[in-house]
Amino acid sequence: MNGRQYLKNQLPVLLVNLLGIITLSLFLLACGNSIQSILFLSCVWGAVVLLYLTVLYRRRKKYLENMLSMAEQLEERYIIPEVIKIPERADDQVFYQLLKMAEKSMLEKIGSVQRERSEYKEYIEQWIHEVKTPITALKLLCENNRSPFTREMLAELENINRFTEQALYYARSEHPEKDYCVREINLNDVVHSAIADSKYLLRQNHVTVTVDKMENRVYTDEKWVRFILNQLISNAVKYRTNQPVLHFYSTRKENHVLLSVADNGIGIAQSDISLIFEKGFTGQNGRTVPNATGIGLYLCKRLCDKLGIGLTAHSEGIGTRMVLSFQINHFVSDFLVE
Amino acid sequence: MIFMKHKILIIEDDFTIQTQLKTLLTANGYEVHIVTNFSDIIHLLKESTPHLVLLDIKLPVNSGFEICSQIRTFSDIPIIFVTSSNTDMDELNSIMLGGDAFITKPYNTAILLAKIASLLKRAYALPQTEVLTWNGAALHLESSQIAHNDHKTDLTKNEVKILYYLFRNAGKICSRNDIVDFLWDNQLYVDDNALSVNIARIREKLTGIGLTNFIKTKHRQGYII
Repeated sequence: MNGRQYLKNQLPVLLVNLLGIITLSLFLLACGNSIQSILFLSCVWGAVVLLYLTVLYRRRKKYLENMLSMAEQLEERYIIPEVIKIPERADDQVFYQLLKMAEKSMLEKIGSVQRERSEYKEYIEQWIHEVKTPITALKLLCENNRSPFTREMLAELENINRFTEQALYYARSEHPEKDYCVREINLNDVVHSAIADSKYLLRQNHVTVTVDKMENRVYTDEKWVRFILNQLISNAVKYRTNQPVLHFYSTRKENHVLLSVADNGIGIAQSDISLIFEKGFTGQNGRTVPNATGIGLYLCKRLCDKLGIGLTAHSEGIGTRMVLSFQINHFVSDFLVE
Repeated sequence: MIFMKHKILIIEDDFTIQTQLKTLLTANGYEVHIVTNFSDIIHLLKESTPHLVLLDIKLPVNSGFEICSQIRTFSDIPIIFVTSSNTDMDELNSIMLGGDAFITKPYNTAILLAKIASLLKRAYALPQTEVLTWNGAALHLESSQIAHNDHKTDLTKNEVKILYYLFRNAGKICSRNDIVDFLWDNQLYVDDNALSVNIARIREKLTGIGLTNFIKTKHRQGYII
C-alpha cells in the first residue's frame, strides 16, 4: 500500500478536521479565549487525527500485505477467497463477494475447458485407432498385390502411419503416466522393429542400413522408444544426401547405455543444434528440405524427458548422430540378477 | 513337402481386412475360415476346430476379450490378438485372459506370419522341416549348408535366406525386389548391389558342388530355380 496514495484518499477526513479546527478556533476566539490555549487545543486535535490515521494506515497495511503474501504462496491464485478470512469491514465484504464470484466463474470455466480437452483427446485417440483399420486394409491390399506401384504406396502408407502415431503420442505426451510401461527390453529388437516400420521408405530411398550387434538390455517402454527411433529414421531419410547410410550402434558409458543413430546426411548447422528440439523450429535445413514441421524432434525430446532418456544431437563433419542415453539402474539390474 | 494344412479362424469385422488376410494366409499355405455372424462365434469355432485364432478386440456384439475368455473355458488353441489400440491396458488384458500374442495394426505381414508359424510350432510340436529339396539339391537350414549328391558347401546367413526364399517359391519367378523384401523382413538389410554379389557367390558355390545353372536369371523379372 502506497502511503502517499493513502494520504490522498484520506484528504476529505483531513479537510473536515481542518475545517473543524478553524471553526472551533474562531468560536473560542470570539468567546475571548487566549491565543495560547486555542493553539494548544488545535495542536492536540491535529495530533489525535494524525495518530488515528497512522495507526489505521499501519493496521490496514499489515492486513493487506498478509493477504498479498498468501496469494503469492498459492499456486492457483484464483482460489484466494478460500484462504482469506471473511473481512469485517462493510466495503471489504463487497470486494470479498466480488472475489468469490470471480473464483466461481473461473472454476467453472476451467472445468469446462478441461472437460472439452479430455473429450477432444479421447476423440483423437479413438480417431487414430479407427484410421488404423483402413491403413491396415490398404497395407494388406498392397502386400498381396506387389508391384512397383504398390511399393510406392507402401512407403506412403508408412508415412501416413508415422503421422498418425505422431498425433497419438502428442496427445499422450501430456499424461504419459497413463500409458507407460517400463520393462526390460532388448535394444536390438526395438531397433529392428523400428526399421521394419520404415522398411519401404528406407528401401525406396536406397538407404544402406547397418545394425551393429547390440546385447544391451535397458529398462524403458518399448512402444515409445520404437516411435522415437522411427521419427529419427524418417529425419535421416528426409535430410539425406546421395548414397544415404544409416548406422545403429550402442556403447556403454559408465552407468549409461548410449544408442546412436548416425547418418551421412546434410547434418545440422552448429548455430541450429541447440534449437532443434524447440517446438516449431526448422532452421536452415527447413529452408532447403520441404515438409519440415518442427514437431518430430520436439515430440521426441518431450517423450524422452518423460521417460528419463537423454536425447542429444551431434553434427560434426559428416551427417548427424542422434544419441539416446538410457540410464542403467544398478539397483534394478542387480536385483533382477539375484 | 506334404503336411497337414493348418486351419486359422479370423475374427475381424472389417471386410477388406478379412478378405485380404484370407488371401495372405491362403497364399502362405493355411486354410482360412472367416467369422461372418458375430453373435455365434463360439458355435462356429467348435464346428470348424481351427488350430489358431486371429482375434480383433473391437467387435460387434461381444468384445475380443469376452470371446477370448469364452474360448479359454473349453480350449487351449493359440489366440493372437490383432488390434488397432496399442495401450498397455489392452495388452495386459489380452495376456491375462489367455491370449498368446498381441499384434497392433497396421502390422507387418512378415511379423504376423512369423508369429503364426512359431505359435503353431509350439502348440502342435510340428515335425521340423529343416531340409528343403528341389531338383536334387537339399538346403539344410539348421547347419546352413546346401548338398547335392555327396557334396556339401557352407552358406552365409544371407545366402541361406536367399536360397530359402527361392526354394519356398520353387518353380516360380522371384523378383529381386521380393527377395530383398524378404531379407529385410529377416533383419538382413541388403541392397540391390549386395543381392547381385550374393547371387553370384551362391552360383559359384553351387557350381562347386556340381549344380550348374541351378538359379536361372529371367531378364528384367528376377530369378527362378
